[in-house]
Amino acid sequence: MKTAEMIEPEIQTISGENVIQIPDGLLGFEQFKKYVLLAQPQEAPFMWLRMIENADKRFIVVSPFQIMPDYQPDISSEDVRFLGLNDPEDALVVNIVTLRPNRVPTINLKGPIVINRHTLIAKQVIPNNASKFDVNHPLPVS
Amino acid sequence: MLILSRKLGESIVIDGRITVKIVRLEGDIVKLGIDAPIEVPVHRQEVYEEIQRNNREALAGESANVPTLSTKNGASAILPPSQPGKIIAPKTRG
Repeated sequence: MKTAEMIEPEIQTISGENVIQIPDGLLGFEQFKKYVLLAQPQEAPFMWLRMIENADKRFIVVSPFQIMPDYQPDISSEDVRFLGLNDPEDALVVNIVTLRPNRVPTINLKGPIVINRHTLIAKQVIPNNASKFDVNHPLPVS
Repeated sequence: MLILSRKLGESIVIDGRITVKIVRLEGDIVKLGIDAPIEVPVHRQEVYEEIQRNNREALAGESANVPTLSTKNGASAILPPSQPGKIIAPKTRG
């Protein structure tokens, strides 16, 4: 029965068209292959990468170029082929943010998620120059 | 798992195109030389495990809120949806 206190959950429509397919899954979450990228203006530049098969599981992600303008992950040609990227412009790159109680949030620069913005096929890649990047790079938070 | 014995300076070949050579032995450290085509990614296993652990830790619950950036162009900036990824990516052939 509906009561006055009941709050209508926000309905987020997910059409087949904006489903991000991660055929290999994220490292450690290989069984989940379908995600949706949700962005709200008031949360920018952060976005949510939410599992479709497990809707309460989600990651905070951000474009690394907003944090570190000179970030240049060197994507292997195998990954480029896998993702079907014909041009660097085809790629949307997001990196996972980790929140920890009473600690500065960090961004994982070592394992960027590269999304083909045309096909929405994505992969968490390990760049050729991964050793240059920190898995827990501190975010400049206020 | 296939286990092979190799001496210093000896190699194994994988798939006819990847060569792994024992380059040096220093106490309990074995130095490997790996010759692989440019498109074959070679990483230490720890890198995968580090990212796996980080992903598990990053999984956010329903109550999580995004942080607020302190940079000038951070909190107020809205990511343009068409912002290209600045990556180094070789072009694929035909």
